[in-house]
Amino acid sequence: MPKFVICFAQAHLNFRLAELRSLAIIENVTLDFDQKDLLEQSPFLVVGIDTVENAKKLLNRAILIKEIIQLWAADDTLEGILLKAKNLPAEYFAPYRTSSFKFDISVFGSTLAIPDQVEQINRFKFLPLEGKIDLKKPEIVFTVYQDFYANANPKDIPDKPVRLFFGPFLATSNRGLIQTYDLKKRDYLGTTSMDAELSLIMSNIALARPGSFVLDPFVGTGSFLLTSSHFGAFTLGADIDGRQIRGKGNNKNIESNAVQYDLTNRILGTVVCDIAHHPWRETEFWDAIVCDPPYGVRAGAKKIAVNPKSLPKTSVLNPDGTYKLPQTIPYELDDVLTDLLSFAAKYLTPGGRLVYWLPTVTETYDPKDVPRHKRMRMIDNCEQDFGKWARRLIVMEKLQQHEPDLDLDALLVEIEKGIQGVNALDEQDMRVGDDGLVTLIDNPAHAKFRNHYFNIGEGETQ
Amino acid sequence: MLMCHVKGCSTDNFPLRIEDAEMEQVEVEFNEDFCRRLINKIDWPAFVQTAFALGLDQLPAALPDDLDEEFLQRIHKLALETKLKAGRMVCNGCKHVYLITDGIPNMLLQETEV
Repeated sequence: MPKFVICFAQAHLNFRLAELRSLAIIENVTLDFDQKDLLEQSPFLVVGIDTVENAKKLLNRAILIKEIIQLWAADDTLEGILLKAKNLPAEYFAPYRTSSFKFDISVFGSTLAIPDQVEQINRFKFLPLEGKIDLKKPEIVFTVYQDFYANANPKDIPDKPVRLFFGPFLATSNRGLIQTYDLKKRDYLGTTSMDAELSLIMSNIALARPGSFVLDPFVGTGSFLLTSSHFGAFTLGADIDGRQIRGKGNNKNIESNAVQYDLTNRILGTVVCDIAHHPWRETEFWDAIVCDPPYGVRAGAKKIAVNPKSLPKTSVLNPDGTYKLPQTIPYELDDVLTDLLSFAAKYLTPGGRLVYWLPTVTETYDPKDVPRHKRMRMIDNCEQDFGKWARRLIVMEKLQQHEPDLDLDALLVEIEKGIQGVNALDEQDMRVGDDGLVTLIDNPAHAKFRNHYFNIGEGETQ
Repeated sequence: MLMCHVKGCSTDNFPLRIEDAEMEQVEVEFNEDFCRRLINKIDWPAFVQTAFALGLDQLPAALPDDLDEEFLQRIHKLALETKLKAGRMVCNGCKHVYLITDGIPNMLLQETEV
């Protein structure tokens, strides 16, 4: 397969592989790479892709990738690159022989002064290029990536690059979308609105695309509806709190956001309901469920139930015949998540994805805390680290109908940053529910997350 | 897609009967594949009954074998482009009323119903 070099944007490092693999599925691209080649501190990853056209397609909606080049030569010195470039078959350059061109030297982990860049570019003079140099609008750009960081200790950066790549530039990604959906420009916001970059990444990982049907059961102010519908999906939102959906009566609400981004033709609507007691007829409606479940820090999670602390109602109706608001009780995070997982196992289409955030206290988090399900395969678990606490993007995929239930080995698999690790779970610790839900017998560490969160910094870690 | 979910209410709880409907036509992108898959997900008799009760369309009682584009467009218009702006959805089983306001159905139950 032809080789390419992906240059990542070096943001949200833990999410790079999850997004890359999802993009390959969405764009139907054959992608081959060794995950061991992706280094934390380096933006470069050499991949095999079936065609040049597909390599460009892979970046159509990429958020965590910056750009991609075709790989013609890789070496650990510039001299090596020059030598390899000299020996390239003539047909490599044939399509560009008369094109206007320029050279671009991209240095990662160090800087290279302009005169030094010019000096290096001049060393490529021998290439069979007859077109004129055009720095503004060249027909083709030849890129040299120089990586000072790979395998290096950031405090001890070498004075020469440790690896270099050379080849024609192919495409930039779609990171401009982060600006388009920037919260600062959005009309209607809440305290729980998800930032644009993560929201877009999540829609990518959920495989939201033309023709797919996406639900956010904790829709809040609707961030995921926007980004998923941007990528072509039809979306529906639900929330127990209708005030979030409707806004404050100043015509700023989820609907006005849909208008602002010109997505009313794909955002199908919203429903006020409680996921603990929901009204959906049991059918595999959705291709993806994408959400940020309420964990009680900024918005307290609630579900409908008789609240013993409230006075019993004399009537459920208001004088005008409408129902009064129901009583609610706190909805503990571990219950929210197991309800969500059971819901997803029933309502996703086969192969459909559940993508949600699990908040964790870093010191007590254990991979076995993540609830599992016999019909849901763990795809990824990517941490966004905030120091003492973190949130993890959990990605699961519903099995196809013909696939048998996951056995314990498959269920207990650990994945971190897209890389499968050793099983850390013990079946003796787990409880298997009737519907296939698999949870810890003991409380997971994120139970009562809110209490732990507010106790961080006060020495309490229990 | 929505049914009555009051605890113990399991007969005649779908489809919900729509009353005092105030409807609006919206524009939704047509996607043939999505529309085909949607038809397989909806409860056809319930869909036919609701479309008729709202005076929107008289659909065949049995889903045709051959779903041509014209038919798909018809379903697209009914299922995706016809929005209930206001009204009531009433459960034929237990009589619970779900209100729709500003195009948003309120499916919350009372605490005594869960």
